[in-house]
Amino acid sequence: MENIIEVQHLSKSFGSNEILKDINFSVNKGEVVCIIGASGSGKSTLLRCINLLEKPTGGKVLYKGRNILDDKHDVYAYRTKLGMVFQQFNLFNNHDVLGNCMIGQLKVLKRSKAEAEETAMKYLKVVGMDQYINAKPRQLSGGQKQRVAIARALSMEPDVMLFDEPTSALDPEMVGEVLAVMKELAESGLTMLVVTHEMGFASEVADRVVFMDKGIIEEEGPPEKIFLNPENERTREFLRRVLKQE
Amino acid sequence: MSWEAFANVVIKYWPMFLRGARNTLYISIVSTIIGSLIGLLIGVVRTIPIPERGFKKVLIKIVNAILTVYVEVFRGTPMIVQAMVIFYGSLMAFGIDMEPMFAGIFIVSINTGAYTAEIVRGGIISIDKGQFEAAHAIGMNHRKTMLYVVIPQVIRNILPAIGNEFVINIKDTSVLNVISVTELFFQTKTVVGINYKTFEAFTVASILYLIMTLTVTRILRFIEKRMDGPDNYVVIPGNQMQVARPEDLIKHNKGRQ
Repeated sequence: MENIIEVQHLSKSFGSNEILKDINFSVNKGEVVCIIGASGSGKSTLLRCINLLEKPTGGKVLYKGRNILDDKHDVYAYRTKLGMVFQQFNLFNNHDVLGNCMIGQLKVLKRSKAEAEETAMKYLKVVGMDQYINAKPRQLSGGQKQRVAIARALSMEPDVMLFDEPTSALDPEMVGEVLAVMKELAESGLTMLVVTHEMGFASEVADRVVFMDKGIIEEEGPPEKIFLNPENERTREFLRRVLKQE
Repeated sequence: MSWEAFANVVIKYWPMFLRGARNTLYISIVSTIIGSLIGLLIGVVRTIPIPERGFKKVLIKIVNAILTVYVEVFRGTPMIVQAMVIFYGSLMAFGIDMEPMFAGIFIVSINTGAYTAEIVRGGIISIDKGQFEAAHAIGMNHRKTMLYVVIPQVIRNILPAIGNEFVINIKDTSVLNVISVTELFFQTKTVVGINYKTFEAFTVASILYLIMTLTVTRILRFIEKRMDGPDNYVVIPGNQMQVARPEDLIKHNKGRQ
């Protein structure tokens, strides 16, 4: 299987505070990988290191076999290959829904206006927001905003989608609509790396689940193994705590 | 004092007042625009992320130091003193003889620039970090991020503060009378020099100042509203709704009005 992203011996510190320690893992084409773990375990930092929103302190990030931490590598071109969905949506406040999905295509990918609009509409339909193209972000609910944010990322037609706790800032009744869209994307064969607290989603949709604790990958494997038969003591403890809450 | 005296001043000297008011408005409009552009440029330059090493780092640091001196000097000294130094100083030291009107616009512009530079910097800092991250995440570099995402939001957010600068400029151009710019205060002084009706003449001047500032604030409020766009959006009916029922059309049209 072709691996799209591979992380080797990745480490990240903020000052003397070591967030990630010697992380090794990869994402293969067409795979859905969910990263789970307690708050502060470094999940989000790992995701942000992969698209260089945080600069790793050490190690390598390989994209299709090439190290993107190389000085010569074009960071901006690389980022267009990764779609990022944030916890806080981060829609561009000065653009309406359609504009949010078009601006990157126009100004970064240099697509024509007609092509950009067609692509944007295609993905807005996928997330069910094609009726709201004139709305400004401030006029949308959280779930709607997140679906537009997903369409914005998809409009760049990336190789991998990164989701950074996409439902954590949503009201409970809106979590479902976003997860439904994500599930649909997963079934369409999109490569996805999802940091999530939604254990139901992870167990149902993921091809592989990665459990992180204190900056280390403690355990990874297919969801059946992680959720039903975890080997690691920390994994077991974490799942006991989380599943009890649900 | 009598109404007659007022009427006399107005009837006799209205062309002078009007010319003064026109010049005051002209200087403040041009200077506010030029000053805002200077401020925008400086604010943007001062928020360029500094690279970790290399020639660019040194260059940015030097430019920032120069800009800091500019902002501090022009914010920290009275405009009336700046006017004297620049207008008479440039003549005596360098032999540059400026038109008073040009000098006036020059002084008010760089003064406004120093203030708006800080307003813009504040505006940029206050934009949510997520906006920058989202722009970076779709592959925009710093220039594109500023141009297409951040600056449009900054301009909208600082518009009230720029309006404030505009109002201040309308009033503060009066200090330009020290370099003989024929703005409203200078003209009023001239009228008083002819007829000694100090109270009447300056009351007329203050009414004119008030009319100008009130008009300007109303116009700016209107522009702000226009920039925000409509409060409601129109839902584009999807395929399942292609045949709209009459009651939907009525609702739809009502929403638009």
